[in-house]
Amino acid sequence: MKNLKKFLALSLAVVLTAGVTACGSSSDNGSQKSGKEVYRTLDEIKEDGTINIGVFSDKNPFGYVDENGDYQGYDVYFAERLAKDMGVKVNYVSTEAANRIEYLQTGKVDVILANFTVTEERAEEVDFADPYMNVSLGVVSKEDNEITTLDDWNKDDSVIVISGTTAETYLTKNYPDIPLQKFDSYATAKEAFENGTSVAWANDNTEVLAFALQNADKGYVVGIPELGSSDSIAPAVTKGNDTLRDWINEEIKTLGEEQFFHADYEATLADTYGLDYEDSLVVEGGKKSE
Amino acid sequence: MLDLGLDVLFKGSNMLRLLQGLWVAMQISLVSIAVSMPLGILCGGLMTMKNKLVRFIFRVYLEIIRIMPQLVLLFIVYFGSTRVFGWNLSGETASVIVFVLWGTAEMGDLVRGALISIPKHQYESSEALGLSKIQTYRYIIIPQTVRRLIPLAINLITRMIKTTSLVLMIGVVEMLKVAQQIIETNRMTSPNAAFGVFLVVFILYFLACWPISMLAKYLEKRWR
Amino acid sequence: MNWDFIAEYLPMYERAAILTVKLGVIGIVFAILVGLICAMIQYHKIPVARQIVAVYIELSRNTPLLVQLFFIYYGLPKLGANLSPEVCGIIGLAFLGGSYMAESFRSGLETIAPIQRESALSLGMTNRQAMQYIILPQAVSMSVPAFVANVIFLLKETSVFSAISLMDLMFTAKDLIGLYYKTIESLFLLVVFYLIILLPVSILGSLLERRMRHAGFGS
Repeated sequence: MKNLKKFLALSLAVVLTAGVTACGSSSDNGSQKSGKEVYRTLDEIKEDGTINIGVFSDKNPFGYVDENGDYQGYDVYFAERLAKDMGVKVNYVSTEAANRIEYLQTGKVDVILANFTVTEERAEEVDFADPYMNVSLGVVSKEDNEITTLDDWNKDDSVIVISGTTAETYLTKNYPDIPLQKFDSYATAKEAFENGTSVAWANDNTEVLAFALQNADKGYVVGIPELGSSDSIAPAVTKGNDTLRDWINEEIKTLGEEQFFHADYEATLADTYGLDYEDSLVVEGGKKSE
Repeated sequence: MLDLGLDVLFKGSNMLRLLQGLWVAMQISLVSIAVSMPLGILCGGLMTMKNKLVRFIFRVYLEIIRIMPQLVLLFIVYFGSTRVFGWNLSGETASVIVFVLWGTAEMGDLVRGALISIPKHQYESSEALGLSKIQTYRYIIIPQTVRRLIPLAINLITRMIKTTSLVLMIGVVEMLKVAQQIIETNRMTSPNAAFGVFLVVFILYFLACWPISMLAKYLEKRWR
Repeated sequence: MNWDFIAEYLPMYERAAILTVKLGVIGIVFAILVGLICAMIQYHKIPVARQIVAVYIELSRNTPLLVQLFFIYYGLPKLGANLSPEVCGIIGLAFLGGSYMAESFRSGLETIAPIQRESALSLGMTNRQAMQYIILPQAVSMSVPAFVANVIFLLKETSVFSAISLMDLMFTAKDLIGLYYKTIESLFLLVVFYLIILLPVSILGSLLERRMRHAGFGS
């Protein structure tokens, strides 16, 4: 009896110390890992009957939760359709910008549909499917102190960015002297921006435009509507999960025939943007028109 | 009248969702406490053993767990373990693991503290009175230990409930995240929602923890 | 483990560690002040103030720091109180820590038997002298272990500052994971830096505790 207790306690302690020190001692693992794959193939998802999709829960009108607790928005509209056509139920996983890659690499979600901009660095870590929206960076500021350029920056002012977004990467790389005020969620960043923490907020131009339009009465303007290169937004899957990615690509192509993303735009984004931006934002059938 | 942004709570099922968020947090702490109580008692008992190696191992475990901020532990288990071992843990599971590890360490320390706080002469007196070892523990040591322990253990429950607010950071949708979602959805119609909603979250946490603290205080006084 | 990455981002962690320690220390100093004032009010049973202190202690001890910070940083500006994240962090830490400090001082004061105060008074000391020379020195040394435990607790709590966009150790780790996807390296540095900060305090704490136990004979 006594020995058993000792053994139990010992093994417990060993497991615990191993767990705590493991991240220090593992020497040669990067993103790749030997043995079992972390992702679930298309068949495994179908068999399970539920697909896990990572979306934003605080990024109105792309991914948010309404007052009845239901997920809504442009990304969610697409996610619903994806799951329906696959014949599975959808389980939404609320994600923050900085967690998106992590969630895919650790198999916590099957797909990320969280306004995920395609970049080269990200493409090394995850696999992107075909795009479904255009995006670039933008900067929103107050009317009475409109920011129209990032050159000759006054060092006492800061710019709000969200940790793990392309805006953060872009500003860190190209404007290292601009002080950044970093937040980990859309909700906190917007709250702080409204409270006057910083003079400007840099993010996807779709998002800053939506913010300016939704808060037009408070005097917000998008002083810089396009910054850096023009990019696209696409679903992402775990690196190597080809069955799932191919299926999504097929799906996007098929949906193009019925102009699905235009309908998505009209259902979720038109309230915010009006119809003026429909053709410039939406990418149909996975092919960007030049 | 000053707009405190409380109106959003009465929209749709917002208030109910907030309470569900609190329930998620409570569940995590209740499951964790239920598991870490017996483990902690075992751990505390082992820490008072004469065996130096056992004591040393537990000492190291206790120090490592107690010195790291809980948020760091959550990150290590949630993100680190998946990377190193390939485990796929949900945020909830990762939270329970961390809270059990932490709760066991804290509980173990409380048990150890309570056991060594019984003066040696009590053991000696019982022996002198002719009580057997089992009798000594059964009638003298354990009742006293338990009385010292229970209020402290109850306090640990409130500490756990409070600490569950951190699980927001590893993607668990609990009360604070629900609060953020509510504020975000109503940003246009109710610009001051951040004040009202966070105030309500503050009050709800207080209402969840305060009665438990009061119980601990009452027992402590009564059994002193 | 990518050591080049670690070398490259070491300075970032150093800055974050300095911020963590700076805010932690300032917050703790204020917490001590708040705690001392509250303990004195309770010890001397000052009416009204005493009830306010009691309510404050319950509110502060039964709510999480993260929620307190969210309310201070995101909620209060709606009423016009716009504070920088640093100030919010310090206020939050002082608000939370004040009650813990007060409790440790109070229990320290309670261990001093009333007869000591009475004896001091009967020796012709004034109330203040009794406090200054007889009660406080003993009470302070009695509350040292709880005090050190509180300091460690509060330093650990600073990890939630990341939620109000302070670039502390926690946020730096989170940010690097999000920017460069180097999870293992970022977490490794995080653990190392917290150990550098907390281990000395913890060791100091157990040394003091051991000395205290020798001093407290008779009990």
